[in-house]
Amino acid sequence: MENKEAYWQENLRLIFICLAIWFAVSFGLGLLLVEPLNAIRLGGYKLGFWFAQQGSIYSFLGLIFWYGAKMNKLDQKYHSEG
Amino acid sequence: MNRHTKLAFMVAPFLAIFGYIGADLYKENQAQETKLIQLVTEGHCDVINQNCILSSGEFKINVSDKGGITEINSTFPLDSATLFLVDKSDKMTPYPLGMQKSPYYWQSPTHLRNVASGKGDSYKLRLIAKIKGGQYISEFYTQTVK
Repeated sequence: MENKEAYWQENLRLIFICLAIWFAVSFGLGLLLVEPLNAIRLGGYKLGFWFAQQGSIYSFLGLIFWYGAKMNKLDQKYHSEG
Repeated sequence: MNRHTKLAFMVAPFLAIFGYIGADLYKENQAQETKLIQLVTEGHCDVINQNCILSSGEFKINVSDKGGITEINSTFPLDSATLFLVDKSDKMTPYPLGMQKSPYYWQSPTHLRNVASGKGDSYKLRLIAKIKGGQYISEFYTQTVK
């Protein structure tokens, strides 16, 4: 029971980290900080615009695989059945 | 691909939709705030000879006068537009412009032609154009060249 509780707490921690990064990348870099970031160019594109269009999606994909890998380790740590 | 990755892939589209709705609400709220943007003339301004363009970035307004009807034509649709003719004692005569075939075209009969139709005549004008909470303002001179 204690193991399940700890497993769930660590899982929740990972989810909140993912959501915080999701918010920071999509709203933070793509909307709130778009003007200062647009002063920087990345491959000819304004960086703020690039984050809103593509960068955030790449980050989301990265987050999915990162979350999957971390959860895999968590499963091994707690010998979860899967 | 483990079960957690599969689950994350299933959740991701919902987060994307929430993100889209949140971004839309944020931008709409931002657009409602009143902004004041100044328009400047592009080169020489001659309203009587249909050669006067005011601009700010991609937004442009063409001001012209044909037979005593002063017309403006903008690159974006306007909510309202008012033209002011300002005499030498800084007294303004406001002319609220009426929308024509679309919100891109606004016009009103004015006395501009009576006071600035001669060659070399110059007259001060002010324009206020409103777009969804934003106000474009301009003070400029028209000078008739021919």
